[in-house]
Amino acid sequence: MNIDFSLITTEIALAILGLAIFTLGLIIPRSARKGLGNIALLGLIIVLGIAVYSWPNQGETLGGMYIVDHFSSFFKIVGLVAAILVVFGFRRYVAANVGNYLEYYSTIVFATLGMIVMISAGDFITLYLGLELMTISFIVLVAFRSFDVKSLEAGIKYLLLAGMSSAVLLYGLSLVYGATGTILFAEVAQSIIDGSGGLLLIIGLVMLIAGLGFKVSAAPFHMWSPDVYEGAPTSVTAFLATGSKAASFAILIRVFVGSLTGIQEHWVMLVAVLAALSMLIGNLIAIPQTNIKRMLAYSSVAQAGYIMVGIVAASQSGVKGVMFYSFIYVFATMGAFTVVAAVYNKIKSDEIADYAGLAQRAPLAATVLLVCMLSMAGIPLLAGFVGKFYLFMAIVDGYMWLVLLGLIMSMVSVYYYLRVVLVMFRDDPVDPTPLKMETSVTITLLIALGVTVFLGIYPGPLSEIANTAAQSFFTP
Amino acid sequence: MSEWVGVALFIMAGLAFGVVGIGVSFLVHPRSKNRYKLETYECGIPVEGSAWGRFKAQYFTFALIFVIFDVEVIYLYPWAVSFVQLGLAGLVKMFIFIFILVLGLWYAWKEGALEWK
Repeated sequence: MNIDFSLITTEIALAILGLAIFTLGLIIPRSARKGLGNIALLGLIIVLGIAVYSWPNQGETLGGMYIVDHFSSFFKIVGLVAAILVVFGFRRYVAANVGNYLEYYSTIVFATLGMIVMISAGDFITLYLGLELMTISFIVLVAFRSFDVKSLEAGIKYLLLAGMSSAVLLYGLSLVYGATGTILFAEVAQSIIDGSGGLLLIIGLVMLIAGLGFKVSAAPFHMWSPDVYEGAPTSVTAFLATGSKAASFAILIRVFVGSLTGIQEHWVMLVAVLAALSMLIGNLIAIPQTNIKRMLAYSSVAQAGYIMVGIVAASQSGVKGVMFYSFIYVFATMGAFTVVAAVYNKIKSDEIADYAGLAQRAPLAATVLLVCMLSMAGIPLLAGFVGKFYLFMAIVDGYMWLVLLGLIMSMVSVYYYLRVVLVMFRDDPVDPTPLKMETSVTITLLIALGVTVFLGIYPGPLSEIANTAAQSFFTP
Repeated sequence: MSEWVGVALFIMAGLAFGVVGIGVSFLVHPRSKNRYKLETYECGIPVEGSAWGRFKAQYFTFALIFVIFDVEVIYLYPWAVSFVQLGLAGLVKMFIFIFILVLGLWYAWKEGALEWK
């Protein structure tokens, strides 16, 4: 079995980066470790450059166990962009609240490596390898504030529930293997066309949905997300909500739309119900939340519901919708969480009530939070609207009820997003001193703002790229 | 179905192995109840304190460091057996693998996990 190294340069570069940060951190004195953040940032930007540069490279290596096509390259870029924003936008937050630069930055890089390995997986073993590398890194990251009881609680919860979901996923994989006799996605698809299947395959499929549904925090597997999102350091929460979710959606599409298309009639309805439940539960429970991180956690459950709509379509336009939405979702979520972290640095609170008068104290942060939330709610002229439009257009014939539910729930979401906006813009601040944001935070916020507005007005190029990438996925 | 007969026989033999052993021992063993007989470990170290006693968490880090080398050896054996076939590429890969493991040990050392405090 020969390895085509030209296809896995991104992965190799990222692995070297992670090891380099670790080794360097051990060599330099403890007081100098702060600079590791800059090295991680620079390294990740270089790796992103490599990923963009190797966009034309396509093919399979390791005997089909590793697939590199436009679809996987697109999601790799999404994951790397999320990692860069996490490292750049939360530097102050990490310095003030997390510390342990050596462990923190190398674990972030290894979590990213897990994501991009999982995105490119061509068989169940690679899938599981990438998934576990990502999950274990995240368990460490979630429990990083070891002096904070909430963070430890979140870590334990994530450890136990992630372990259980992995067990369910593995059992599902073993059943699919038992029913089809192969672990390669391509051969699973062929074997289903040739008539293998039956009850065993369907039970395996349900378990796969449960295991991966946990990772994307789709209802009813969302129970962990509010507690973990609230307890984890905000930077980790942001990464968990964007990178981890986007990678899990990529593999969900690869497995279901890519290799289990033959038994579509068995899973499309199931995914549609999960999508509907996620929208309902996420949006309705977000309403009474008073902690902004919990509110964003429920909102991310709802976002998972919207994205799953694209999988229900199981068509090129559906996959394109998922890709487009994942991309803009990264920027909107990063923008929102960067504001949360920056404000926490100053006022040491995540309560929505304490955001009173933020528009007077930190106008840019308040504006970015406003724009990101409106984008997530799907208000026209912002990227979220275009994304939802692509997603729901894909299922407009056949699943009209889901489209209607999605529209109603988007309206509901406007209510709780605007409640935060109201507190920020209408109420007078208790303490009117302006909050001064660091340059890195300001730049991150401007990037999030710029991309969200730009893609809302001019979605053409990204939509075109997503479309060709989705096409390469359907005609191998 | 005939290929499963072997499996069934194997399961039955396995069950019989346990049941017969315990059964025969139950029938023939001498019954004498004394203080030593009722201890938790009949022929082990005398039991100290309650099971809820607290012990040093550092045992745990030692166990983790042990796992590093345990895993290393698992992979070294098959590599050593097929060393000739794997050639230079195998050697390079093994060095990368051991480098990563040594990095872990180095980290543990630097963080003071090897010192008993």
